[in-house]
Amino acid sequence: MADYLKPLPIADLDSQQFWTRCKAHELSAQRCGDCGKFRWPPQAFCPHCYSWKFDWTKVGETGTVTSFVVVHYVSIPAFQEDVPYVVAHITLDGTDQQITMISNVIDCSWEEVRVGMPVRVVFDDVTADVTLAKFRPA
Amino acid sequence: MPEQAIKDKTAIVGIGWTAFSRNSGVTTLTLAAEASLKAIADAGLHVQDIDGVVSFYHRQPEGQMVRELVRALGLKKCNFEFYSDGGGGWNCGAVLSGAMLVHAGICKKVLVFKARNRYSQGRAARAERANDVKGDAQFTTPFGIHHAAASFGPIATAHMARYGTTTLDFAHVAVTERSHAALNKKAMMRKPITIEDHQNSRWIIYPFRLLDCCQESDGGVALVITSSERARDTKHAPVYIMSGMGGQGQTAGLWETNGANSAPLLYEGAGITAKDVSIAEIYDPFTFMCMTHIEDFGLVKKGEIGPWVTAGYNRLDGSLPVNTHGGLMSEAHIHGLNHVIEAVQQLRPEGVVDDLCNGAHTYDRTTCRQVRNPEIALVCGECGESAVLLRRA
Repeated sequence: MADYLKPLPIADLDSQQFWTRCKAHELSAQRCGDCGKFRWPPQAFCPHCYSWKFDWTKVGETGTVTSFVVVHYVSIPAFQEDVPYVVAHITLDGTDQQITMISNVIDCSWEEVRVGMPVRVVFDDVTADVTLAKFRPA
Repeated sequence: MPEQAIKDKTAIVGIGWTAFSRNSGVTTLTLAAEASLKAIADAGLHVQDIDGVVSFYHRQPEGQMVRELVRALGLKKCNFEFYSDGGGGWNCGAVLSGAMLVHAGICKKVLVFKARNRYSQGRAARAERANDVKGDAQFTTPFGIHHAAASFGPIATAHMARYGTTTLDFAHVAVTERSHAALNKKAMMRKPITIEDHQNSRWIIYPFRLLDCCQESDGGVALVITSSERARDTKHAPVYIMSGMGGQGQTAGLWETNGANSAPLLYEGAGITAKDVSIAEIYDPFTFMCMTHIEDFGLVKKGEIGPWVTAGYNRLDGSLPVNTHGGLMSEAHIHGLNHVIEAVQQLRPEGVVDDLCNGAHTYDRTTCRQVRNPEIALVCGECGESAVLLRRA
């Protein structure tokens, strides 16, 4: 794992919880303490009711591909080994369509990926400190 | 929604550009100055008449900074400088900013420019940006999104799933824009291409092939805005700024851009409807982005853009010529401010000056790219995050 050459996320004060929970293999997001709506990406206040109260909540591990691209040309050499790879918009189940994450769909050929395809999270421990939440066909 | 208070109060009176290339061999300051001095001369003005300067950049300053140009031009008195971070969304926002400065009485003559060495120096800048993993990028870069095609591709894929648009539809935009560029002496890509060339070009990032992607360019363009009153004394017939808007918003889904939010404000602000638009210079970093912008500005019904471009309505003699210069795809990528230049050229009484006609325009499409009597032009930036309506005098 020491030779993982791809860029790693830099967590900030808003997102630290998300990445910490990813490392513990839990997919999570913030939920407003007043209106109860989910939000993504992490931020300190609710974009719906502007409340500053929130909880970090475990979210469902399944979702739907709402769109995607297939990368054949890379700008960062470390990704060349994965070409062609899929990057998808995945709307998570049970979040009232409020959470759409961007991630890879793995463990299937790119020709199989479709808008509307159900997927399930799979945690990829890319280094000792960082885990990326990716998805595979459900 | 009433007409905008700024309607027809300001005009574009001067335009200028440098050669567009893959290696300018000069600094962005030189490019900016060359385009600006040409635009000022085209307006019949003196450099010291300029009292406001506006430009824009994407994320981090990657073009020529405003303050350096003001200093280099030796302006004795600049009343307002403005350098915005709106990127490709802001070509028309920059124009509208200049118009607002004039209309507000803060400046009398505003220079709007964009200059960049994006081909010769862009690769290094892009490589650096590709590794950005802070802020929003912490949720994209680690998953392999490092290219505009990966950021905008999902908009196309969602549209394809919802409306049945195909990558074969995209090909018609690439081919038509190239045919327009063939009639444009300053265009960087003029060699005709076919539908087969498009379909056989390699995947860059699905759903975009090589010939769906615009190019990167070195070059500069500039224009001068003044009040409609003062415009009567300038060298060329003015091109009036009817209305404009700039900003972001949310839409119904990925398949729709902010153009859908801005179009009603834009048309009502000008007191017209989409049907009154004669030509459209549409931001086109990828073939499909041009297509969705055409729809989102109400020029074609949502979901029907594929058959529309396939039928060729976007050609020079079509019902709505689009990107008459060849666009970012085939003319050059001067962040879409070159689209504004093209609209002004098309709307001037003498028409475009850099097609293959010798003397009067012939409308022979082997040499002439002037559209027949266009009256109103729509120009828009990325995702419809800014737009202006321009009309001829």
